[in-house]
Amino acid sequence: MIRFLLRPGVRRLFRLPLRTTTAIRDDVDDELASLLASRIEHLVARGMSPADARAESLRRLGANLDDVRLQLHQSAEHRERHMRFHEHVETLAQDLRYAARGLARRPAFTAVAVLTLAIGIGATTAIFSAVNVLILRPLPYASPGELMKLSLVTPTVGGRPGTDQMSWSYPKYTLFRDSQQSFSDVAPFDGEPFVLTSGDVERVNGEFVGATYLRTLGLRPIVGRDFDRAADAHVGGPMEVIIGTSLWERRFNADPSVIGRILVVDRQSYTIIGIAPRGFKGLSGHAELWLPITASLAEQLTQAQSHWFNVVARRKPSVSATQAEAAMITFGKRMSETYPDNFAGKAAWSAHSIPLDEARVAPVVKRSLLILFGAVGFVLLIACVNVANLQLGRASNRRREIAVRMAIGAGRARVVRLLVTESVLLALIGGAVALVIAWIGTRALSAVNPQITARVGRATIGSVDFAAIRLDWTALAFAFGVALAIGVLFGLAPALQATRSTVSNALKEGADSKTGVAHAFSGRRFLVVVEVALALVLLAGSGLMIRSLTKMLAIDTGFDPSHVLTLRLTVPEGGLGRDSLPGFYTQLVDRLHAIPGVTNASLGFCPPLSGGCNKTLVTFPGQPEPDFAHRPLTGVFWASPEYFSTLRIPLKRGRMITDADRFGGPKVLLINEAGARALWPNENPVGKRVKIGQGGFSDGDGAEVVGVVGDSRQFVDSAAGTEVYLPYAQSPRSGILIFVRSMRDVASLGPEVRRAIHDVAPSFPVYDMQTMSARAAGATAQARFSASLLGLFALTALSLAGVGIYGVMALAVAARTREIGIRIALGADRGRVQRLVVGEGVALASLGTIVGVGGALGATRVMRSLLFDLTPSDPITYVTIVAVLGAAAIVASWIPARRASRVDPVVALRIE
Amino acid sequence: MALLKGTLDVLVLKTLSWTPMHAFEITTWLEDQSSGRLVVEDAALLQALHRMEERKLIAAEWGVTKNGRRARYYRLTPSGRGHLRAESDRLVDHFDALTTVLAAKKA
Repeated sequence: MIRFLLRPGVRRLFRLPLRTTTAIRDDVDDELASLLASRIEHLVARGMSPADARAESLRRLGANLDDVRLQLHQSAEHRERHMRFHEHVETLAQDLRYAARGLARRPAFTAVAVLTLAIGIGATTAIFSAVNVLILRPLPYASPGELMKLSLVTPTVGGRPGTDQMSWSYPKYTLFRDSQQSFSDVAPFDGEPFVLTSGDVERVNGEFVGATYLRTLGLRPIVGRDFDRAADAHVGGPMEVIIGTSLWERRFNADPSVIGRILVVDRQSYTIIGIAPRGFKGLSGHAELWLPITASLAEQLTQAQSHWFNVVARRKPSVSATQAEAAMITFGKRMSETYPDNFAGKAAWSAHSIPLDEARVAPVVKRSLLILFGAVGFVLLIACVNVANLQLGRASNRRREIAVRMAIGAGRARVVRLLVTESVLLALIGGAVALVIAWIGTRALSAVNPQITARVGRATIGSVDFAAIRLDWTALAFAFGVALAIGVLFGLAPALQATRSTVSNALKEGADSKTGVAHAFSGRRFLVVVEVALALVLLAGSGLMIRSLTKMLAIDTGFDPSHVLTLRLTVPEGGLGRDSLPGFYTQLVDRLHAIPGVTNASLGFCPPLSGGCNKTLVTFPGQPEPDFAHRPLTGVFWASPEYFSTLRIPLKRGRMITDADRFGGPKVLLINEAGARALWPNENPVGKRVKIGQGGFSDGDGAEVVGVVGDSRQFVDSAAGTEVYLPYAQSPRSGILIFVRSMRDVASLGPEVRRAIHDVAPSFPVYDMQTMSARAAGATAQARFSASLLGLFALTALSLAGVGIYGVMALAVAARTREIGIRIALGADRGRVQRLVVGEGVALASLGTIVGVGGALGATRVMRSLLFDLTPSDPITYVTIVAVLGAAAIVASWIPARRASRVDPVVALRIE
Repeated sequence: MALLKGTLDVLVLKTLSWTPMHAFEITTWLEDQSSGRLVVEDAALLQALHRMEERKLIAAEWGVTKNGRRARYYRLTPSGRGHLRAESDRLVDHFDALTTVLAAKKA
């Protein structure tokens, strides 16, 4: 008779082994054999001969036996596959339903866990987006691995350090271009501001580029054509321009017939020949038009020592990066022989190549980002530890339920899968909520531009920047992957632990269950120690950054940026003759003074705290020139008389420059205190004569030092060097930075200042209006960015760790209600009970702190280069953060302690 | 007589509606019930059984026959029972219609 029949689902529940293909085929063969045998038996029983019976049976089969077998094998296999898949789907749906019900039953647990995970995953995803865009993602050009940035290398002479990121001069570039064999394409590029005058006057950023610039990057115009390959072969090549889509849309309404039209750029006429691909802003990052490099000023193209542009190159696929570098060094030798540097005492220059990818962000930004990524990883880890902690707590509450499931025959694997499904579901919900946080985070990060990149972007390409940070598919995949991994890992461990004990043990509530609770509890204590240690490392990192920032902000910069508005004005080429510039300056300053509330108005050239603008050599008339290595350098600034009172830079000796120091009159200049000390130690510099290698101040017998002014810093983290100020009137320049001081809110002064300038110079472009405070803030932007993010992460970590301590102590109190009840019944006073619980919480925190301090001392070493005037093991920082953490630990364990002290001994003793 | 498409399934389900059977029992039962007019090819029967098992209309389990032979026993599932009900109604209606038409006499 039939022995037993089981539904397939039941069989799966009992984990009967899944059937292999062989088993399925054997089944089919057995059934077929059984059928044939039954029929033969039947026929023989009716009197047929066995041979005839066999023949009849085969006939009744309906087809050739082998064919039938084959067909049946296939249909049976198809059947098994189909049924198995359906069972999987069913089981999964069942698990998910079960998990969702389980989570919904405990809304408080679910909410805390989801929120914790959301914070961890969200913050990590946001920072990952930044790391991905700024560091990881390949550059958006064809085969970006082949792109290299080529630079010149200047020698270290005397105490003056060389650089391996020196820009190129045109003669050196052509020497290289015409002899090199390692690169399939090379192209110069240099970002510069230009003024458009056909139509509305507008200042735009553009690039002087080599003819093969777009080809090198693997791009081609979307409309029109590229430059001819030979367009930059000789000085005075074709006057052609390629424009970007933003300019094309803004000025020409995206009209394709613009090709062939004339665009007047810096008073020169260029024929528009093409439209660059959408979104392309050049390697400098802001360009909207591209001019052949040969259209730049003749002296910029003929002087071998006029270094002003970068070179990008595409390495031939057959040439390795090492071979390319070797070729650059060989070229460097040749270049040094062809164009020796007479200045540098004949010390040899060289040439160098780095992957363009390495030039995408400044090392300091890269380092900060990686540190932040590490920090946010810690936050995520703490969040995970907290959730694991919660899971452990739940798992020990569910031991009976799990034991019952196992007793009715659910295998351990099945139960583990149930629990893991639940934790994966939890993590995925957390991940979904995290996307909101990540979205807000990426929006905030993309707004960090341009301060940081503008400050540190010198040696880097500007096309990779914070503004490009988005919550893209990569980031979404990252968030999903992290959530999934957390769900599996942090669900698996508690699940394995919870299902480890044997059924009979767990079912016997009472005696045996205590060991289980104790075991889970020690696990949770361990997790709290880990959590505190992690939080401490983060606190240390953020504490150091914040202290470093405070020190930075407390620095005396030597000038007062408050209540000053600044903006730039460019006198277009051919706009005013050199001789009429001083008159224009006076007119401009007078008009600015006429604005109500303006107390000072002046012209400058290079704002303080901007990293300095240019340097040149100082020589002394009538003295023998020392060798190159010992020649002093000075920073050169231009100023109008009121510049110093506008920025509140004090006069230390001598006199200020005045309106009487005019064009054509005796040349005078001011020097800062650091310069006075460096050039004339222990002497009065007033009345000395110097020659300055710029601004026409090197002619004749040079200029007279008429006064000494206070130092103002160019870098927030280093003291001022030698700096001289030349009067605008005696050394006219077309680029002007206007400074206006007012008692009024300077930000609201903008329109009036613009109108005033328009009155004097209607056709001169005005741009880059910022308060001086904002400009100065740019100098600390990087530090503020790191400090505020690290601080935010540390605060999150601290709260999460506090929640962790609270959770464990609350559980400990709950588990010891009886013991505490006895203590109180025996007369222990309630304060003592509180101290007992708090003491235990603090003990855990202390252990975590010890581990954490060790970890922090190691981990914060990577921050050394980011810290200003601070060592990574700064004792004040450590004492402070340990105190903060200790306070948090006391608060977190005091809440359950208070509950413990209120235990009613009568109630407590009745429990169980 | 060859079976109309789709009728074999219903017939097999009907056969199984009283008690679980193995393949040979099914084909014998059908032959007996139809007084030998319904002869099903074994290959077609086994295919039909696989197909219906896949659709969860029937479930199978190995058992032992009266004669001590191992055989695969098929049993009707609840959804198989529902399918049988619906399909047999449909078929009966269909054949009734056919019979009516074919039996029509000239008016």
